[in-house]
Amino acid sequence: MIKQILMLALLSSSAHAESPQRILDSLVAQAGPASAARGEKLYRGKFSGGKTADSCTACHTDNAKAVGRHVRTSKAIDPLAPVAQKDRFTDPEKVEKWFRRNCNDVLGRACSPQEKADFTAYMISLK
Amino acid sequence: MNNANAMTWKHLLMLLLAVGGSTLLISQAPANDEANFPMPAGKAYVDECGSCHTAYAPGMLPARAWRKMMAELADHFGEDASLSEPRRMEITQALELLASDGSQATLRMRRINATIPASAAPQRISETGYFRFIHDEVRPSIWKRKQIGTLANCIACHPRANDGRYGEREIRIPQN
Repeated sequence: MIKQILMLALLSSSAHAESPQRILDSLVAQAGPASAARGEKLYRGKFSGGKTADSCTACHTDNAKAVGRHVRTSKAIDPLAPVAQKDRFTDPEKVEKWFRRNCNDVLGRACSPQEKADFTAYMISLK
Repeated sequence: MNNANAMTWKHLLMLLLAVGGSTLLISQAPANDEANFPMPAGKAYVDECGSCHTAYAPGMLPARAWRKMMAELADHFGEDASLSEPRRMEITQALELLASDGSQATLRMRRINATIPASAAPQRISETGYFRFIHDEVRPSIWKRKQIGTLANCIACHPRANDGRYGEREIRIPQN
């Protein structure tokens, strides 16, 4: 019983919601100052390393505040910008998971901490 | 005479019980058209699998098909969908439990299962006989609509697909 309560406490603390700014801060701590402009370039850039899509915009559209569509499955994707979708960039594990998967899908490699920080700064800058 | 009367009452009572019982059974049973599938408990399945595509009902494929899929997540239809090992195990077990050949399979799930050869481990639900049969009225032009796009996009027309609900009454076909 005590074990279960401890597990629950552990789980709820690991799922603790952060603010997008806090998530950006911890990325900046690993990378150095972030640039929203560089982040936008990454978001709009065309790449050839990935197998799924050639750009972020292929699924998330030119407007990160709009509903996107998965390029393979056509499933609707909630907007990426926190201003349009409140729970974006609030769960550090989720943020890491999607950088891991999507950088691989588009760039064919992991993103650097700098790229992640820039990208997050761009998303937060959208109003 | 008395005997005959007694028999009639007995028969009438049995008839009433039979009719009443059947009525009760029919009213309690989910309507055939509701097409509800059991879904894994908790949020892991919809969170992990449902972000890129519909969180397909486990009962649409047999356990062997799910096991194969969950063993090949690093190349999941060309994409890297790998999971942490605890998550992978958790979801695999949930899928096996509620698969079309599982011990809890509903009549519809067993019917789906019957259209899949025992030697096959299909990775696309849309390639099973049951899927093709049940969607045979859908014109090709409808599948091509932008908001539908692919056979994999169940949730486009079955808005509650992530809850395992595919009932005919809940179908909403996007107009473009």
